[in-house]
Amino acid sequence: MSTDLPEQESLLDRLQRKRDGRNVDPRLGTLLGEGSQQRVKDPDVAYPVHGLRAHVEPDKHGSPTYHGLPAIKQPVWISTIPTYLFVGGVAGAASLLGFAVDIHGSRSLRRLALRCQQVGTAGDMLSAGLLIADLGRPERFLHMLRVFRPTSPMSVGSWVLALSGGLNTVGLVLGRARGGLGAVGRVSGAAAALLGMPLAGYTAVLLCNSAVPVWQATRRTLPLFFMASASASAGSLLSLLPHSAEEARVLRPYRLAGKVAELACGVAVVRDARRAPVVAKPFSEGTSGALWRTSRACSAAGLVLDALPGRRRWKQVAADTLTTAGAILARFAVFHAGKQSARDPRATFEPQRAGQGAAEVLGHAVASDGKPLKFPLPVLR
Amino acid sequence: MSRKGFFTDSTVCIGCKACEVACKQWNQLPDDGFRFTGMSYDHTGALGSSTWRHVAFIERNEPLPGHVTGVGEFSWLMLSDVCKHCQRAGCLESCPTGAIVRTEFDTVYVQPDVCNGCGYCVVNCPFGVIDRREDDGRAWKCTLCYDRLGEDMTPACAKSCPTESIVYGDLEVLHARAEDRVQQLHDQGLVSAYLYGRDARSQPGTGGLNAFSLLVDRPEVYNLPPDPVVPTMKAKQAWSAVAVGALGMFAMAVGAVLMGREARP
Repeated sequence: MSTDLPEQESLLDRLQRKRDGRNVDPRLGTLLGEGSQQRVKDPDVAYPVHGLRAHVEPDKHGSPTYHGLPAIKQPVWISTIPTYLFVGGVAGAASLLGFAVDIHGSRSLRRLALRCQQVGTAGDMLSAGLLIADLGRPERFLHMLRVFRPTSPMSVGSWVLALSGGLNTVGLVLGRARGGLGAVGRVSGAAAALLGMPLAGYTAVLLCNSAVPVWQATRRTLPLFFMASASASAGSLLSLLPHSAEEARVLRPYRLAGKVAELACGVAVVRDARRAPVVAKPFSEGTSGALWRTSRACSAAGLVLDALPGRRRWKQVAADTLTTAGAILARFAVFHAGKQSARDPRATFEPQRAGQGAAEVLGHAVASDGKPLKFPLPVLR
Repeated sequence: MSRKGFFTDSTVCIGCKACEVACKQWNQLPDDGFRFTGMSYDHTGALGSSTWRHVAFIERNEPLPGHVTGVGEFSWLMLSDVCKHCQRAGCLESCPTGAIVRTEFDTVYVQPDVCNGCGYCVVNCPFGVIDRREDDGRAWKCTLCYDRLGEDMTPACAKSCPTESIVYGDLEVLHARAEDRVQQLHDQGLVSAYLYGRDARSQPGTGGLNAFSLLVDRPEVYNLPPDPVVPTMKAKQAWSAVAVGALGMFAMAVGAVLMGREARP
């Protein structure tokens, strides 16, 4: 019976069919507001609360929260970012090693220098791809080079990566040519290699320059850890690739020094975070805690196995694979530690009350509500 | 152009959420889904990419002078929260594309046609305001009704506020009004009243907020940080660590090559 009636679409039907959550009838209203260009595929996706409430105990110790909700936003980045943290580091460290071999090494080490440059160039290219994949609007990736903003580590890093990738490519293509072109290639390669150092380290500054408590708290040590880890993983990767016995004599001390430095800096990062116990929690609890423990175990095993006497190939492959796995897991651990830390409102509030917010750099003695900050000892000024 | 901002007086907020509705309507923002949170009367939860005004509801088990409730030791706190338009804005200082700018009204504005959705501003806001909408791909936040300001109009939220809890105007005028209000409350016995983020003196980490508030309890109660800092202020130490690390990396690379070379027969 109802099928005989002409299909009359009601206003409600029309609005719900549109389903952009705005409920504006296109016949009656035009979309011209500041937020009208916001693309909506899932009307509910912006709802911020569900699944975000941290497991915080009720207010017993005078440290309140707002219904246990996070005080800051979680990083929105996807897993290509921790992958890039690893790949970019390897690219930077490999480029630098290639340069060192070029200036100090003998002729017989030239193949190693070339391989370093190839790894560096490939890493730079892969890095750019990983970063573009994370952008909300990947087609606008060139906007990254629209301005240079020294206060933004991401802007500095975009320029470092772009220059390093470009110069490395020029160095790789022209570096073995004769005459003027060869000189251009060699200078480009050298410049790319020197940019490899900030490339391996700026990623840590990028994380530390944020409101995420665990990243902000580890700003003195995380860059060292990332750079040491980059050296260890570049050494391990180059050792996994086929190489001559002579090249092995360069790679072995490089790799071992990197592995030792990585383990030591890893300990320093956790010590740095522990200045406020609530901030260090992600290193021992949850997903990030498990990742961090596994990563440290892999790195330690990689070093021990490498340092043991014996030159059998399988032992070397196992050691370098463990180190690489440790370095990758460490980047994912640090990334997830940031997410976990941002979810916990107490990790934001308590260090600030204890004088580790703005007071740490500006030296004022009262919080924004005029109450004295809880330094471990009374501060006399 | 003079410096514009909001003064939000939480003591006269009645929690009607007219500001939230007016903001959504004027800016034509999509809804957040209609769901129940179980957090007092707050079913919005937090500021986000499509939520530029958010009314916080706090139920406290302590009385507030001048409040009369039927359940004894109890008081309501309500605060309409918004982007603070900080003097030292973490989002602006971290934006690698130059999409986030300071306008002629001294407010902080995200240009949607420039933003490429890198998500760095999201982790750089010490107040958790700006967010990236995943299906849109860009970062969004309160514009302080930039389109209305250009026409000499009051922002939608302030216009719709029935109790003048949200006041829009020149910062100097707002500061004077806010100081008077605090004095008035202190005289009435509400001595816990204070201004949050009035200027660089009361909140050095942000250099003061263009959208500041009058609160009567600790900032944490309203989900505001007690001593926020624009992350850029601490970046120097991180860059110094990179310099030290660079020396170490260089020493390791050159040292290894020299050792390997000397080991030759």
